[in-house]
Amino acid sequence: MPPLPPTRQLIPMALAGLLATAIVAFIVVVLFMSWFSNPPFGWGNAPAQPIPFPHTVHAGPVEEGGHAIQCEFCHRNVTTGAAATVPAVEVCVICHKQVNGANAKADVAEPETLINIQRVLDKHADGRPIDWERVHRMPDHVRFVHEAHLRFLTQGEERTVTLPVGDEEPMQLPVPVQEACSVCHGDVASMTEVQPQDGQSLKMGTCLDCHRENDVSTDCTVCHK
Amino acid sequence: MKLTRRNFLAWAGIAATGAIACDVFDDELKVQSPALIPEDLVSGRDTWYATYDASTPGGQGLLVRVMEGRAKKVRGNPRFPTNQGKQSPAADAILQSLYHPDRIAGPMLRNGPRGSGQFRPITWEEALNRFNAAVDDRGDGMLLITESRGGSFARICIDFANAFGGRHLAYDGLDDAAYRSAVKDVLASDALPYHDIENATTLVSFGSDFLSTWGNPTAYGVAYGKFRSGEHTHHRGTHVHFGARYSLTAANADKWVPIAPGAEGYAAMAMAWGIADSHPESSHVQAITGEAGLGALSQFAPDANAGILQIPDAVLGGKSLNEFFHDMAHDYAAHGGLAIGGGGEAGAYSNGKFNAAATLMLNFIMGNVGHDGGLLVNPAVENWGLQPNVPPATLGDWQRAAGDISNGATRLVIVHNADPVYGLPPGVGLGDALRNESVAVISSSSFIDETSVMADLIIPDRAALEEWGDHLPEPMPGYGVYGVQQPVVNPLPDLDPRSFADVMLASAADLGRGDMMPAGSHEELIRATAANIAGDFDDVLRYGGEWDVNAKGETPSPSGNLLSSVAGMAGPAAVQGSGDFQLTPFAHNTVLDGRNAHLPWAQNAPDPVTTVAWQTWVEINEKQGREELGLREGDVVNISTSAGSIQALVYLNPGAPPNIAAVPMGGGRRAGSEYATGREARESGNVMSIVAVSANDAGGLTWSGNRCTITPTGDSMAVSKMEGGYTSREIGEHPAEQVFKTVTGEGGH
Repeated sequence: MPPLPPTRQLIPMALAGLLATAIVAFIVVVLFMSWFSNPPFGWGNAPAQPIPFPHTVHAGPVEEGGHAIQCEFCHRNVTTGAAATVPAVEVCVICHKQVNGANAKADVAEPETLINIQRVLDKHADGRPIDWERVHRMPDHVRFVHEAHLRFLTQGEERTVTLPVGDEEPMQLPVPVQEACSVCHGDVASMTEVQPQDGQSLKMGTCLDCHRENDVSTDCTVCHK
Repeated sequence: MKLTRRNFLAWAGIAATGAIACDVFDDELKVQSPALIPEDLVSGRDTWYATYDASTPGGQGLLVRVMEGRAKKVRGNPRFPTNQGKQSPAADAILQSLYHPDRIAGPMLRNGPRGSGQFRPITWEEALNRFNAAVDDRGDGMLLITESRGGSFARICIDFANAFGGRHLAYDGLDDAAYRSAVKDVLASDALPYHDIENATTLVSFGSDFLSTWGNPTAYGVAYGKFRSGEHTHHRGTHVHFGARYSLTAANADKWVPIAPGAEGYAAMAMAWGIADSHPESSHVQAITGEAGLGALSQFAPDANAGILQIPDAVLGGKSLNEFFHDMAHDYAAHGGLAIGGGGEAGAYSNGKFNAAATLMLNFIMGNVGHDGGLLVNPAVENWGLQPNVPPATLGDWQRAAGDISNGATRLVIVHNADPVYGLPPGVGLGDALRNESVAVISSSSFIDETSVMADLIIPDRAALEEWGDHLPEPMPGYGVYGVQQPVVNPLPDLDPRSFADVMLASAADLGRGDMMPAGSHEELIRATAANIAGDFDDVLRYGGEWDVNAKGETPSPSGNLLSSVAGMAGPAAVQGSGDFQLTPFAHNTVLDGRNAHLPWAQNAPDPVTTVAWQTWVEINEKQGREELGLREGDVVNISTSAGSIQALVYLNPGAPPNIAAVPMGGGRRAGSEYATGREARESGNVMSIVAVSANDAGGLTWSGNRCTITPTGDSMAVSKMEGGYTSREIGEHPAEQVFKTVTGEGGH
């Protein structure tokens, strides 16, 4: 066994080794989380939002107490542009100017709900935005255009396809917009708190599988910036 | 420092640790809802709602395109029976009443001298407390002034005034009292009749500009197009117009016969004489004349009334007046012709009721009442449980109202969407009376105008596209039509108006008079009314109303004394004041009587005859203007009557008859939005301010019966118009100089 270096050399070497180990461990952890979690750092759970927004009440079917508001009423760019966009607070106020605590009948709404509505109205009155926690996120180097995907799902001749997302059951296309959204996002209208579709990956393999399945180009520049 | 592999790894680790520790990635995981809707992001789906617009003459059914909770466009409702998918140009402008920068945002209290326009915002709680206190203290001396309409709103207004011992008056700047009175006498109906132009073969019109502002111009415009194309009759309909002004209707006629102002009734009777002369055997002639034939109409023989009719020789073409009307009757009236008019300008003379009654009676002589292509009597709507349209108050009503305010009998004036201070001549005294500080004035209008600026308290109502309402088109198309106005949008977030109907209902309930009101809310009353009429309210909303083609009015048989009754009204139009010109005010095609003066689209829509926009002009015969008065287009002239003087820009019109000074209403607003008030007095004058106060034979204001003088001021300015005489061309060589400049072209000056 070779002799140990002198103590004055051993301490810096140990520190450097520990640092290198920490860095490598950090990188491994980040890669692990990025791969297995969706979204990154969230492990697939619904992140807590600054103001609760129950999609069940807004987009849920009328028979179940919802208001059946169409997806594109709030996410109004979804059929025309790359980003679906989250609605401006002013869009919330279009309805909640009337639907609020001042107009609510006592036995209809929960007090907590009315407080949350008032928070939205206050935000609007003060001109302050709402910072929602992102639920679905694409890496910066990916270009995903909602409009093109919705056009594929909602337009064209009647056809049956199998998409490598969701339950992967054969689908009859075209479908209405709200059903098209559900292909990737799941049945958001039934979610009190939005979370990624169970088992849904937003990784490159899913994109490639679907593109190949439907004879769409898999050229790098189609999706990558 | 040398960058070794060890250093690189160390710094990378420190940077990564620091980034996480400092939450640098936090924003990556957030998505922001901006506070306001980005204006450059236009998407989403549109939704079309059926509703009703009562702001234009006659009313019309509309479809409103709504996106993102905002109304974007209106178009005529193709299912609605009157306008059949078309809309008035004034209807387009109602969108601007939603988004107008000068719209009153919320309740306000006066904090300056009355009429100064100084107000401060207050809360609705304070506003309603003040409203209730005023009604409680002064309700028995209340005068409630609203626009003229029927249906649930009118029911609530009438009941509210009655509940407190007050009085309700309806205001319409386009006073048509003479025509209403004539309809009641001749047709025994309170509902205005419909003229079935669409199915007519020939049309004879007298004075009224039914293609622009009289009656239901949108419905009549649609019908006129079908009449001209022969859609139903398979023959192009022919049209002759008798009138003193070169109006849009005159311009569209095959033949325009200029007559003296106020001679429309004599022209109609001359046409009746012509029918009796050319077709003495006609059973209709025999019925009306009591089998006396031509002899019963001898006093209306055209030759005998040449001095009243004053038809130019050039129009007569060498014929005598008797020959002229004999031929006209043969060509236009004897074979199922339809007579229309007698109201509007023609009804605003001292003999207005005679003008209207003679025109209505002419339809009986032509045998054209109660069937397709003729005059259709509309049904009474009381059977439907509806409040009929409240007729506008007469001149006498307004004079009494001004007197009551002055002598303290009226202690509270509440005004809603009416501007009588602007529209009535100052001689009526309403504006002066309202300056009396002992009377409390409350306005529920959405905009400042000459009347609402006098208010102590303003409680702004919702705009028409934000509010419930139900209406009765006037005239209906010969059968019962019920139009429903639904709120298609909510007010913008920075606005806080409230339904005035609901304010009245709540106030009555708060003050213990709720049992005297028809419902708990405006919407509730409309739903109940609609359910009574139609059953399915969803269908009413879907179609914009309910109509029943079998619900027709009863066609009266002409009584034996109809002719003598009408003849008893006959008399030439009296004139007020002196001067070389007859002042002929007329309703502006889109600004109307001034009610739309605050809407830029209404101001910007060119007058269909002159193409002038934004300004007040006076149409003068070109030859007379140039040669006798030395006038050129754009000269500023004083128009003086016995009641006052305004200024206007000269528009020389070769089609205008000599000695007629035609001036549009709607200019000269001095309170409110800059779009209404922002022009100099020399290019924007209120013609109603120089009308002498005089009632006609039905109690209405004789706003057509004034003589005036035209005096050049020596000043001039460009007339804002689209028509020729001017061309535009690019000038300059350098790009910065390449601007378009208006230059004089051939034929200009």
